Amino acid sequence: MDVAVKALAAAFAIGVSAIATALAQRAIGSAGVGAISEKPELLGSVIILIAIPETLVILGFAVAALILLR
Amino acid sequence: MILEMDRVQIWGMKKYLEQVIPILHNFGKMQLDDIRSVPDAMVQPFSLTEEMQSEREEVDILIASINGLVELFSSLVKSEVQAPLTKDDNIQEIKSKVSDVTSQVQYLNNRKKTIQDELISLSKYNEMLNVIAPVMPRSSKKSGNASIRALVHTSQMRAMNMLAQQLKLMTRGKFEMISVRVGESTNAIIGIFPLEMISQVENFMKNEKVTQLILPEEYAYLSTDEAVQHIGKKVELDHQELDEIDGRLERIAAQWLPRLRTWQLVCKDRVDEFEAYTKLGETEYTFTLFGWIPSEHVAELREIFQKRFSKDVTVNVIEIPKELRETIPVSTQNPDAVEPFENFVTMRAVPKYTDIDPGMLVAFFMPLFFGMMVGDVGYGLLMLAISLWLSKKNIKGLFGDFFKALKWGSLWSILFGVLYGEYFGNLGEMVGIKPLWFSRGDAANFTTLLIMALAVGVGHIVLGLAIGIWNAAIHKSRNTFLERGGTLVGLIGLFLLGFSLLQKLPDGYTIAGWIVLAVGLVAMGLSMGGTGVIMAPIEFVGVIGNILSYLRIAALGLASVFLAMVANDMAGMVGSVIAGVVIAVLIHSLNLVMGMLSPTIQSLRLQYVEFFRKFYEGGQSAFSPFKKRINVNFTPSNFKEMNKE
Repeated sequence: MDVAVKALAAAFAIGVSAIATALAQRAIGSAGVGAISEKPELLGSVIILIAIPETLVILGFAVAALILLR
Repeated sequence: MILEMDRVQIWGMKKYLEQVIPILHNFGKMQLDDIRSVPDAMVQPFSLTEEMQSEREEVDILIASINGLVELFSSLVKSEVQAPLTKDDNIQEIKSKVSDVTSQVQYLNNRKKTIQDELISLSKYNEMLNVIAPVMPRSSKKSGNASIRALVHTSQMRAMNMLAQQLKLMTRGKFEMISVRVGESTNAIIGIFPLEMISQVENFMKNEKVTQLILPEEYAYLSTDEAVQHIGKKVELDHQELDEIDGRLERIAAQWLPRLRTWQLVCKDRVDEFEAYTKLGETEYTFTLFGWIPSEHVAELREIFQKRFSKDVTVNVIEIPKELRETIPVSTQNPDAVEPFENFVTMRAVPKYTDIDPGMLVAFFMPLFFGMMVGDVGYGLLMLAISLWLSKKNIKGLFGDFFKALKWGSLWSILFGVLYGEYFGNLGEMVGIKPLWFSRGDAANFTTLLIMALAVGVGHIVLGLAIGIWNAAIHKSRNTFLERGGTLVGLIGLFLLGFSLLQKLPDGYTIAGWIVLAVGLVAMGLSMGGTGVIMAPIEFVGVIGNILSYLRIAALGLASVFLAMVANDMAGMVGSVIAGVVIAVLIHSLNLVMGMLSPTIQSLRLQYVEFFRKFYEGGQSAFSPFKKRINVNFTPSNFKEMNKE
């Protein structure tokens, strides 16, 4: 039971943060592609902007790891 | 490495100007400043002479003609070849040859257009005659009979019948009329009557305003069947001629396209020279030119001018005015292997003149992180093969840089693959190959993997901060020094605190940790002024977030290794060997493609967001020298020869 609850908690930690990242990237990605089509030199900045929300899922991964390792 | 730049002023007698500009153009290592943007310039901007202006207009028109031909020929011939530069490639020769090619192309295109128009009208005649031919009465073919053909709207058919009655009366019953529907609302009328009455019938039709179907002159006196036959033959001949014209155009395109591409650059080079003149300053007898040259090339330019003009043209290194310090153009110089990574840096922003060039650091850390994430000998070898194969294709731009970077990343992947003992996931383990360090697929090593990723993060961030501190010290930037130094000190305090709380250090270090952390935060706060009390802790938490961000090295690595294991397990679960191999190949291919893209982006992000923010500002303009677009290798010893040419 304890293992199942831990696994579920870890899954939630990473799952919810992944959904949040996806939502953020959806908005940033579509705006970014629009910006690149107007100004191709913005590619570097757009990659950064798209990659920034991924910290959320990495933090989710860190929390999931903490739960599983305790 | 960012090259040191000198600001130079070239001064000389105006009579030498037309020699100075081509020499500078061939030299190709000086960026020219517009005299209008030079502070305190006491000379007026140079005005192009009438002769120069008319030549400029001539070259602009020539470029437009060449562009038109290149566009047309590129659609006919798929070739990217560019012809080498020859002695004859001067503007006048180019103009005359372009004019010849243009007239040939124009003639062929006009002929093509004429034939195409003819084919359109012939196809219309053919369509109508094909409808009429089967219903033509035999009497029309009898000698002594003539026929008329007309197209009338269906609403006029009643009137047409009345006209036919009148014509019958006029020809004493020898007029015969047939009507056939040829369209939704059009009827073809065929009238047959004795030949001697042709002028009477035609006049009658004309008076009654009935439009006859008149064939082109060469078919006008032929019977319908003969006309159909002749038109068919003509259509065939026209198609043959069109094919011949297309063939000739293709041959002309193949012959001239490489040369036209070269001429495009020669003409643009000439326009660049006119642009250079407009950046000069002039007095009645002298000219002045300001610009930037990498310090290492100043002596070379001086030597060239000294030999050529003695003291009549001089190159002086001048002090950089305060207002121009932020606009010093930036040029970097690194080994060839670093070039793709330099482009990745520029994609973020061109370095500032006062920045440390991060090209070398990115060239080391980006493939390293990539390798740590992929960490598989099998995938590494495949990626190496792909990158080596594609490097032969000479791909340019972002994809070219990506594949060049992939080569180094794949080498690190092979190395980490050996350390992790991964050969297409757990295939190596199945045949008894042991990891040299630890296996990522083993849950027991999860903590080791996380610690490795965090340790890499700490090392990378600390290195970034150290570079930032050093750079701030060199440029005597107090606030930056305090901010970055405070962050580093705060991190040291945090580590002392953390390790002592985890009982890896003696108890006394807890207090020391708190003190060092507080000192760091105070230093950060001081650098931020009034808002420092709030902003310093927020910034510090951000730095901790930056370190945690390196966990992606572990996360992506785990995703990669588990997907590879899924591929192997699924292949093993299928009864058939062939089906198993197909499934394994499909999933491993997917993992390989994901393994090339995702770690590249994540690794790049770690450089851009986590690493660069600690020391890199960027945002200056890149060095853009006044140089030939077409490859001319220039050395002081060959410039005389080139100028003669």
